[in-house]
Amino acid sequence: MTERGPELSGVNAIYVFAVCRKPDLSAVVGLPGVTDQASVSSLSLGALTAIVQTVRASDFTDEVWQARLSDQRELERYARAHHDVVAAVAARCPTVPLPMATLYHGEERAREALAKEADRFDAALKRIAHHAEWGVKVFVPPCPQDETVPTPVRHVTPTERSRPAPGAGLAYLNRKRGAQERRERIQDEALRTAEAVDTEVRGLATASRRLRPHAQPSGEHRVQVLNATYLVSARRAEELAVLTRTLRERTGVDIELSGPWVPYSFVGEV
Amino acid sequence: MTDVDFRQGSYPVSGPQTTNLADILERVLDKGIVIAGDIKIDLLDIELLTIRLRLFVASVDTAKKAGIDWWENDPALSSRASRNALKDENRELRERLKELESEASEKSLDSEKAEK
Repeated sequence: MTERGPELSGVNAIYVFAVCRKPDLSAVVGLPGVTDQASVSSLSLGALTAIVQTVRASDFTDEVWQARLSDQRELERYARAHHDVVAAVAARCPTVPLPMATLYHGEERAREALAKEADRFDAALKRIAHHAEWGVKVFVPPCPQDETVPTPVRHVTPTERSRPAPGAGLAYLNRKRGAQERRERIQDEALRTAEAVDTEVRGLATASRRLRPHAQPSGEHRVQVLNATYLVSARRAEELAVLTRTLRERTGVDIELSGPWVPYSFVGEV
Repeated sequence: MTDVDFRQGSYPVSGPQTTNLADILERVLDKGIVIAGDIKIDLLDIELLTIRLRLFVASVDTAKKAGIDWWENDPALSSRASRNALKDENRELRERLKELESEASEKSLDSEKAEK
């Protein structure tokens, strides 16, 4: 993995995956990156190093990206390619990931722009040192439908017996109201469980962020009520796994833990 | 049981090996340290993109306030049957209201009579 000579400006662009300290580039050997035109390489920024790839500029214009991101298969291919490089580099050295699609007109431009941000990279590296990101999702069963709610038994007075129509209407309304209240109670409880899980996990995390809950594919009989991500110290990772298991047992709901992730969600604010 | 992938034993981290696309997208698209690039790429409106992919329903807050995720997932609230049920309920409510109103006016007449 060597630094390249001068690129053909205007024809090529530099795609940046991440910025890191003392990278071990053997980690990215064989990874395709976002193009087959050139291999993933490095660009020295002084104390820091950018992980980059030379791409054909015409393949990475805004218009091309718009089309690419509208196609789920293409989007997945590029997102995974970006993530694979970031993850491989981060496995060997402290790494700050950049979001997908950060591009420069050439190596000099990239070096200049990234070097200007050295302070932010340093702050981000400091923040995530010896930490990993862990995702926690909470799922609950979907709400029961009306039909499953039993009809409440009503005490019928003699007067009402002489007027069956309003009695039946009231019973129906009571049943409806009962179903609605039951649904609200279940929803409240699910959200309270989500909050409780979040609070517990935050207790051992350095930082946390809430992400949008994912809609579940139809046919999946559960609803996601929490999608959160946490910056957790490496020495507390085991503790997190234990806590997740405990919470799962205590609450009876599905709790999924994913990670360790490169802390994408915790380098943006520095 | 646990869903944790502990195959990545060493730190720094490399990210779980098996991850769903939604998990990766919500991290690589709008997270990470944002540095201005030469080529302005508008990663679409993230919301639009994700709606198109049917990955996400709403922000946590919106979902909580409106119960949107429940609406989306609760067939009782989205099926045609439930619309019919709502119509029925509406009709019955109107009938019941009419009766209550006539009852109330009868009662007020009665009490007026009693007062006299």
